[in-house]
Amino acid sequence: MAASGAGSGSKTYSFKVVLLGEGCVGKTSLVLRYCENKFNDKHITTLQASFLTKKLNIGGKRVNLAIWDTAGQERFHALGPIYYRDSNGAILVYDVTDEDSFQKVKNWVKELRKMLGNEICLCIVGNKIDLEKERNVSVQEAEQYAESVGAKHYHSSAKLNKGIEELFLDLCKRMMETAQADVRAKGNGASQSGMSRRGVQIIDDEPQAAMAAGGCCSSA
Amino acid sequence: MSQKSERRGIHVDQSELLCKKGCGYYGNAAWQGLCSKCWREEYQRARQKQIQEDWALAEKLQREEEAAYASSQGAQSQPSLTPFSKFEEKKTNEKTRKVTTVKKFFSPSSRTAPKKAPCEKVEKVSGARERHGEALLRDLRGMFTQPWEMMSPTEESHEGKTPSPSISRQSSIETDRVSRDFVDFLKNLQKPGREIHKQCRAFIENMANKKDLGADELSECVQDFYQNMSDRLMTHFKGSTERVERVMDQVEKYIMTRLYKNVFCPETTDDEKKDLATQHRIRALHWVTIEMLCVPVDEEIPEVSDNVVKAITDVIEMDSKRVPRDKLACITRCSKHIFNAIKITKNEPASADDFLPTLIYIVLKANPPRLQSNIQYITRFCNPSRLMTGEDGYYFTNLCCAVAFIEKLDAQSLNLSAEDFERYMSGQASPRKQEPELWPQAGPGGGGGSSPGLTQVYQSLDLLTGLEARQERVLEGARGLESDLISWQESVEREVQEILEKYPLEIRTPASAIDSDNVENDRLPPPLQPQVFVG
Ligand SMILES: Nc1nc2c(ncn2[C@@H]2O[C@H](COP(=O)(O)OP(=O)(O)O)[C@@H](O)[C@H]2O)c(=O)[nH]1
Ligand SMILES: [Mg+2]
Repeated sequence: MAASGAGSGSKTYSFKVVLLGEGCVGKTSLVLRYCENKFNDKHITTLQASFLTKKLNIGGKRVNLAIWDTAGQERFHALGPIYYRDSNGAILVYDVTDEDSFQKVKNWVKELRKMLGNEICLCIVGNKIDLEKERNVSVQEAEQYAESVGAKHYHSSAKLNKGIEELFLDLCKRMMETAQADVRAKGNGASQSGMSRRGVQIIDDEPQAAMAAGGCCSSA
Repeated sequence: MSQKSERRGIHVDQSELLCKKGCGYYGNAAWQGLCSKCWREEYQRARQKQIQEDWALAEKLQREEEAAYASSQGAQSQPSLTPFSKFEEKKTNEKTRKVTTVKKFFSPSSRTAPKKAPCEKVEKVSGARERHGEALLRDLRGMFTQPWEMMSPTEESHEGKTPSPSISRQSSIETDRVSRDFVDFLKNLQKPGREIHKQCRAFIENMANKKDLGADELSECVQDFYQNMSDRLMTHFKGSTERVERVMDQVEKYIMTRLYKNVFCPETTDDEKKDLATQHRIRALHWVTIEMLCVPVDEEIPEVSDNVVKAITDVIEMDSKRVPRDKLACITRCSKHIFNAIKITKNEPASADDFLPTLIYIVLKANPPRLQSNIQYITRFCNPSRLMTGEDGYYFTNLCCAVAFIEKLDAQSLNLSAEDFERYMSGQASPRKQEPELWPQAGPGGGGGSSPGLTQVYQSLDLLTGLEARQERVLEGARGLESDLISWQESVEREVQEILEKYPLEIRTPASAIDSDNVENDRLPPPLQPQVFVG
């Protein structure tokens, strides 16, 4: 995984990431590939694929990632806010062969920005790129859209295990940056309690100045 | 001339100078008759005991405070004692009484005091039983509690302290046990342990004065306390999250066991109203089927229906716990049983698309008591780190989703036409038309998978019949033993009688004088005969 730096900083970041998107775009397949390295496998050992965790070490910082799968059916759409409350990141998945699923992503983005503002790191993921021939969503359109809403765009294939590691690693780094910026902001007066109640726990025994550098993420 | 009279004098026996412990060294009156070594040992032990007793005393004081607090609340319900300032409060109590009465029937552990009247009625109905239960509980308590923790029976059965003595006693046993566990746990931490204990006690006392606060403020207080405590612990344990969490779990357990009755479903909120609304709503949705919700669970497989039943039991059990984390654990266990059911049915790990509908189905089947109150309580008073990112938090969030879905559920969410939905809701039609015919088939041996509830009933009936038969056998055995004992006694008596008749006891009254039975008599020379001399 990520470079295991020799840094002395003993911080542990805990992040909550929600998976959003229409049913059948490959959300569950993506996490199972990422956490278990399995695809459509009948011999998967985990009892469930709805809540999975991954421990990472990024530039010497420990990261505990909790990935929350959400029910994608339309009738559960209204429950979204309960799921994504307090999340640090959201992975919005669409199926590159399904134009409709991309429209759904746009709806999610609007909702998330409205409810959570810029606190949340957004990833838009076009999955199933192994089906390139059947593509129905243009790469350019998708990438432009992502940029316009301050999200990052990725392409992936759970089937071929393409683009998944990168996507999660990138997201983690961005969430770390956001968390550090948050700490710096809170450092000027505001109490830290709001911070950890939002779900980010920063266990910090380094002086504040050490992390203000913010360059740790460019290392891996 | 006995030795005792001699000792009463100035003579000092050698043994009195020795150590009372019998170690062989000389003792000293200043050390209570012990030698210096034994004295040190004894002193240490006594000191240790003293420390323990101090803690116990602290606990006892705490309990007394609580008891005083509870009885002062109880007094409010008596009109003559109601101060004018509390008049408004009483009126609002009056208003909610109707709802509360219903709650009392369902809740084993609700708050004390103000609503005494309706509860007394309940008590009268089950009076004899209650009393029996009380006696049993007292016996049990005697067995398991330390002597210093026993209150005198008269003190306990004091009238009007709480609506239902046996229930409050049960919970006070639990409180005692939790306090003891907490103290035991903190002892291992030594000095910081004491500091933690002090902080917690101070906080609980502080909270007792804040009972007029709204639920959100109460939550804020507890959350601030958690935050401060975990910040301090973090410094103390030098950032070891696991150790901090372990202590925080105990802190939560201790604090919330004590605060529970005042902060669970408080009167300042409409939690109770919501509980009843949800309960009615779920009851009205009894007709919703597995197919309508697209639940990927096949209850015809016995192992699956077994997991479904367990999941239902777990989510119902949540209400009986007092610590937020214990409530969460019930939800997690329920979820694991759901995952098992899905895994067995589908042979693949459950995704959120499988899990949420199944959880909704379980909640509809279970209709868990005080669901809204429990969710609110966990949200307000659980240690936040568990709720935010942890696995428990995920399942809890799904439960919240399930409840929200059930509240908003309409024809569309079940893929029904509006007309059908209306008809089912009003009870004019039932989607399970074929079911009445199926029911009789689900007989004892039939295992009718059509209705898991019914199968469960039959299984329970089987169990009960089995138990009855065993009880009968035990009684028979007891009766056999009794008659054996009686006949044994009779036979012994008979035998004794026979022997007595065979060898009658003849007590011969001694024929002669005092020394008649002296065997040596024969050897004595014959008594001197008087010799008469004539002359
Ligand atoms: N060809 C292809 N199929 C995929 C890929 N990812 C998922 N699928 C398939 O898409 C279907 C839905 O996937 P799933 O993970 O259940 O989607 P979810 O409903 O969003 O969780 C399944 O049949 C998967 O096998 C992919 O990268 N390529
Ligand atoms: Mg899925």
